[in-house]
Amino acid sequence: MVASLFTGCAKKAAPVKTLVYGTTEKVTDMDPASAYDFHTWEIFYNIYQGLLGYPPGETNIVPALAASYTPNDKGDEFTFKLRKGLKFSDGSPFNAQAVKWSIDRVMALKGDPSWLVTDYVKEVTVIDDLTVKFTLNGPVAYFPAVAATVPYYPVSPNVYPVDKIVRDITELKGGKLVGLGAYEAVSFKRDQEVVLEANKNYYGSKPLVPRIIIRYFADATTMRLALEKGEIDLAYKTMNPSDIKDLSKNANFTTYKLSGPYIRYLCFETSESVFKDKRLRQAIAALINRPEIVEKVYLGQNEPLYSMVPKGMIYHTEEFKTVLGDGNLALAEKLLKEAGFTAKKPFKFDLWYTPSHYGDTEVNLAEVMKAQIEKTPAIKVNIKSAEWATYKDQWKAKQMPVFLLGWYPDYIDPDNYTAAFAGTAGSKGMGINFSKPEWDALFTKEQTNTDSTARQQVFEQVQKMWTDEVPTAPIFQGNLFVFTKKNVLDVKIGPTLQFLYNVLRFAE
Amino acid sequence: MKNLLRYLITRVLLTVPMLLILLTLVFVVLRVMPGDPVSAMLGAHAPERVIEQKKEELGLNRPILAQYLSYLSQLARFDLGDSMIFKQRVSQPIVEKLPATLELTLVGMFFTLLIGIPLGAFAASRRRSSRDFAIRLYGNVVYCMPVYWMGLMLQLVFGVWLDWLPISGRTGSRAMPSLFERTGFYVLDTLLAGDLAACGDVLLHLFLPSLTLGIVLSGIFVRLTRANMLDVLKSDFILATRARGLPERLVVYRHALKNAFIPILTMLGLQFAILLAGAILTESTFSWPGMGRLLLERIYLRDYPTIQGVIVVFAVFVSLVSLLVDLIYAAVDPRIKY
Repeated sequence: MVASLFTGCAKKAAPVKTLVYGTTEKVTDMDPASAYDFHTWEIFYNIYQGLLGYPPGETNIVPALAASYTPNDKGDEFTFKLRKGLKFSDGSPFNAQAVKWSIDRVMALKGDPSWLVTDYVKEVTVIDDLTVKFTLNGPVAYFPAVAATVPYYPVSPNVYPVDKIVRDITELKGGKLVGLGAYEAVSFKRDQEVVLEANKNYYGSKPLVPRIIIRYFADATTMRLALEKGEIDLAYKTMNPSDIKDLSKNANFTTYKLSGPYIRYLCFETSESVFKDKRLRQAIAALINRPEIVEKVYLGQNEPLYSMVPKGMIYHTEEFKTVLGDGNLALAEKLLKEAGFTAKKPFKFDLWYTPSHYGDTEVNLAEVMKAQIEKTPAIKVNIKSAEWATYKDQWKAKQMPVFLLGWYPDYIDPDNYTAAFAGTAGSKGMGINFSKPEWDALFTKEQTNTDSTARQQVFEQVQKMWTDEVPTAPIFQGNLFVFTKKNVLDVKIGPTLQFLYNVLRFAE
Repeated sequence: MKNLLRYLITRVLLTVPMLLILLTLVFVVLRVMPGDPVSAMLGAHAPERVIEQKKEELGLNRPILAQYLSYLSQLARFDLGDSMIFKQRVSQPIVEKLPATLELTLVGMFFTLLIGIPLGAFAASRRRSSRDFAIRLYGNVVYCMPVYWMGLMLQLVFGVWLDWLPISGRTGSRAMPSLFERTGFYVLDTLLAGDLAACGDVLLHLFLPSLTLGIVLSGIFVRLTRANMLDVLKSDFILATRARGLPERLVVYRHALKNAFIPILTMLGLQFAILLAGAILTESTFSWPGMGRLLLERIYLRDYPTIQGVIVVFAVFVSLVSLLVDLIYAAVDPRIKY
């Protein structure tokens, strides 16, 4: 009644069709050279573009800013032909010089995701205004997938400083984000909202919803209530399992369940901690009961995972299921005994988790895992937590013998789920510190070989070896959920997890 | 007047050591706890060289004492410094977010007093009755209630089930605050812009979060008002007013309450600090873009100067409110002289 007094004299809604999207995610750095998180990349997918990309909801790579690309015979040079007449959202021209400038900038600034460029690219050469050549460090079978990632997105040299990472848009010349994507950011209030409007200079199909307002919620329950109340049209990441269950049954909303390549796993510090002994890593991995975790903690909303390569991805196998199993007490106790641990002399260690980075259920996950692992009296687990900034610091300092992590892919290839954790360089960055020359040789073999049969053999072998060395233990593969009002259509998020807003529409 | 001025100067000067102690504690705690802004900024893959370079740039590799003295000298010039994470002055997000928090806490305080004082006075006037018991029970229960739970319940009942009120943000989802924003106090800004519809929208959004804060803190005011009123109602002058035949309503709410008000005023000053603390959780629950959320966000990022800046601002406001309360004493009670 009170509300109606005011809404009675409310101004008419703005004529621009607007979709309000609620999320509990955060925006980090407004710079493709530095941002390395799911949500900021999602915004970049919509306000910037890469030379290559993915159609909404699909996994095949297609030309984007580049009209075409040609690898050389060896596979260590890729020449991109840019589309003609492209302009940044401020009207300034896009050309090969801007591509080179952007890549050189990423390499020089050495931001968090810069390894996606520096690990592969030796140099970028401008052939002419519309042609640019990438010379790689060596042949890379999946380079197009890597080149479709955000650090390769060209930015405007008129706006971004060459020598600094931009954390906030106030640091940009003109104070505005300028890009080549379907939308441009017209307003940015950190942790409050981002307003995107259709980019007049976009070369592709114009967005069907001209304005998107992304509203940031500190609390998932408030976001749920906002959706139920109609304050937002779409909610994505990250609802609590109980909210997911309720909203999925609510006929007023459309539920999109995305079986994406998001995985959760346990990491072991393998160089200095108590988990130097692989038998102990095998024992812990054998004790994990994945179906129980999925049911108890996530109410059946995720899938047990038996390999670091997720289900649905090429070369996926289920070695952990066959070799170590779930809740395999007999095997675990045998291994623990061999390592010198029994009920009288139990193996004690700290299991670490981070309380909010992966949602509110993390503490439950840690508690359930502790209970599973302690089914054998030969182990005593102490649960510890650290908030994300500290967590990262601690894994680098080797202060956590075993810790929970999650992974969204940088590019869609099994390499991103294996070399990143068990290759010497990647493993060090993840706090696992696993290093075996035969493993590095296998990764090099699959990275430089374009033959899919040869790559399949390598990945099958690596997944088998994983159950022996266990640098990490996969736990589950996540499903992501998007909830929308009934009149919101065409939410297309495929296995790449790229959410492109320009295909969203309202029902007539 | 000379005495009042001396009192004011003394209070202001006393604020300085209070702020110094608080800042020192915060400064030390931030730097000894694990994690640092460079790790938060650069992520897990940054080379060691880049990390060291960044630490040097930010002065984090200097001895803690040197960092501390440098910070104090900055503060002495009323300079809160620069954010370590974003290229901006610390004052910038504070100036942007402070009005949202002040608006929330002021209206929250209004609800606290609106609910707490009349209920406490009524309970005192009906001592040992069932209504007195019910009001005391209310006071105890709401004071123990976590503010975020209260907020969620109010959102559920009034926002979702009854669909009377909005549950998040300062304005409607599709509103454009840039059209009227001037001071950051949206109620004032919409009035200045002459936009009554926007003003209504802003007030509706303000209602539930400030009511949440107000209800939770009203508990203590119920108890305090009741206790003071009981003392005052036993006084001779109250007996005299009753003997003169004044209606009980006037005896309680005009004569007794006025005299019971001094300790309530004291509590108001003290509770302002609690209100600011409660605002942090309330802002999270209602997605209210204020200082509380800013503080949480910058703790997450280990942005030391911004965290310190927010705490300085909070401390200054608490001191100001406390000083204001003391000044109001003199106005309320002519017996008080400085």
